[in-house]
Amino acid sequence: MAEKSLLRPGSAKADKKSEFRDYEEWFVGTPDPWKEIIRLDHGTDRTFGSTVRSMVLNAEPAQRPAMEGKLLEALGHPEVTDVGRMFVCRMLALIGSGKSVPALSALLENTRAIDAARYALDVIDDPAVDDAYRAALGRMSGPAKAGLIGSIALRGDVKAVGALTAIKAANGEPEVVRTAATRALERLQAKS
Amino acid sequence: MNSSLPPSVSRRAFLKTSAVTAAAVAFPSIVPSRVLGQNAPSKQITVGFIGVGNIAQGHMDTLLGFPESRILAVSDVDQAHREAAAAKINAGYENKDCARYNDFREMIARPDIDAVFVCTPDHWHALAAIEAMRRGKDVYVEKPLTLTIREGRELVNTARKFQRVAQTGTQQRSSKRFHDTAEFIRNGGLGKLERIEVLIPANNKYCGATWQAEPVPAGLDWDLWLGPAPWAPFTRQGCHYNFRFVLDYAAGQVTNWGVHYIDIAQWALGMDESGPVEIEGKGEFPSTGLFSTATKVDFTCRYANGVLLRCHTRYDGVGDGNVRFFGERGWVDVSRSANTASNPAMLKEITARAGAIKLPLSINHHDNFLSAIRSRERPVSDVEFGHRTTTVCNLGNIAMQLGRKLRWDPAREAFVDDSIANRMRERSMRAPWSLA
Repeated sequence: MAEKSLLRPGSAKADKKSEFRDYEEWFVGTPDPWKEIIRLDHGTDRTFGSTVRSMVLNAEPAQRPAMEGKLLEALGHPEVTDVGRMFVCRMLALIGSGKSVPALSALLENTRAIDAARYALDVIDDPAVDDAYRAALGRMSGPAKAGLIGSIALRGDVKAVGALTAIKAANGEPEVVRTAATRALERLQAKS
Repeated sequence: MNSSLPPSVSRRAFLKTSAVTAAAVAFPSIVPSRVLGQNAPSKQITVGFIGVGNIAQGHMDTLLGFPESRILAVSDVDQAHREAAAAKINAGYENKDCARYNDFREMIARPDIDAVFVCTPDHWHALAAIEAMRRGKDVYVEKPLTLTIREGRELVNTARKFQRVAQTGTQQRSSKRFHDTAEFIRNGGLGKLERIEVLIPANNKYCGATWQAEPVPAGLDWDLWLGPAPWAPFTRQGCHYNFRFVLDYAAGQVTNWGVHYIDIAQWALGMDESGPVEIEGKGEFPSTGLFSTATKVDFTCRYANGVLLRCHTRYDGVGDGNVRFFGERGWVDVSRSANTASNPAMLKEITARAGAIKLPLSINHHDNFLSAIRSRERPVSDVEFGHRTTTVCNLGNIAMQLGRKLRWDPAREAFVDDSIANRMRERSMRAPWSLA
């Protein structure tokens, strides 16, 4: 007796090539977690985020560049939510490299994304991060600037001493920023 | 090593500062002990609280019964907690002097406060304690000492730099039962030590797969409650008490209970300034919902001497942990309720304390802290010890999340050849907060 066809009802094609294609359609019809993460939001189901996080944590070093690429793709999506962006940045905080620095540095211009960007940039060991932070110092203000100064201090960027000295002395800067600069200088000068 | 720590404020400096501030702020007429010196008529140590929720209640009750200390002020971002704590303290002293602050930074700016108790959610421990020490306060920091490994090292460095007394709230070190058991093990009472088993309770709170933001209750400064944590909308399920099941704020039962019993294991092993060299584990973490800490904990550490320490969840409904030591002569077990052994005769050996190595003996954790403030010696749960114990918990949490064997260098406080694990030792803070 002939084996029962696995083709979906209504399919007119019977050759093996088209049979495979039918299944492929079914596969790609399921959500892709790497794309779904752009929709994460507070209080919603975060299962796709957990799936991606699990993949990131378990990836072999050789697999990480491809994952970094997928994360950057999500980061650049025009519809990424604030929560999705923070999630992606936290994944880049685990596997991000110098390749991520341009996209993450660009987020330092977006007041809604600065904290998320620092989450990833703070731990990327690449001098381009220090360059980006120093460049952003002049553009930021208030608490965001204080946070950025803290990042500079913890990274130990002694090249920022000049700029921080000026900030510390600037009467126009709010107290939170001047205090951050003072403490950053304490740390950096102890290091140098 | 000279571990004596000097008081930070000279009498002259204090009087100068007081003259400036007296006109603006009327403080209670208690003079801090450090101003007058150890032999002065007034030896009361003045105390402020940072965070006065659930865990602070016992501390306040204890200190209210201590004539050698005086609680002057409380700070809490929840007005309801703040007012209730101030009322409790005022009732205890039969006056109306207890000052209240929403922002702890205003409280620790007061020069008349000697010491602070940090009883906030875990994600605030490091920042609050560091800020207080920079202001010259000695600190008692609730366990777990910090949220991340880097925070712990920064906290210890700050204590040393500013020469502050810093006690970790792992109060089992001030229990004779735990002390004697640790000392017995340290003296080789079980013969060659082979392994240690730590049991910790399962999570005692649950929530669904999704959650909803709620209006911030009147009187709660939610932005300051979040502090260095990533911004999130308020929800009751993620705030008081339950914060410990959200990885942004805490590390679950591993650090909630595990830190107490792993602390005794570290003490017994003589690992107070070191730690294991390998860690592996398999935990279960919720894949959705508000809670994100492990619901099932199971990790094993290996120390350089070959001893294994396994920490895992118990599901028998017992709301306590325990630590059991296995050696050539059998096993001994200690918990808050009992001391047991494979051979009951060993229990008498434990209390006999015949070994040559004598561990520091404290019979009251608060008294030990206050005594250390006066003597400027290090307390029984010095922050270095608290940091190393909390690190073991964090190593377990990291290993369970990664699901692979990790090698740890306790001298460098770094993982060997695992970049992801090393990045998990720290996390950035929401602006403007920083460890710097």
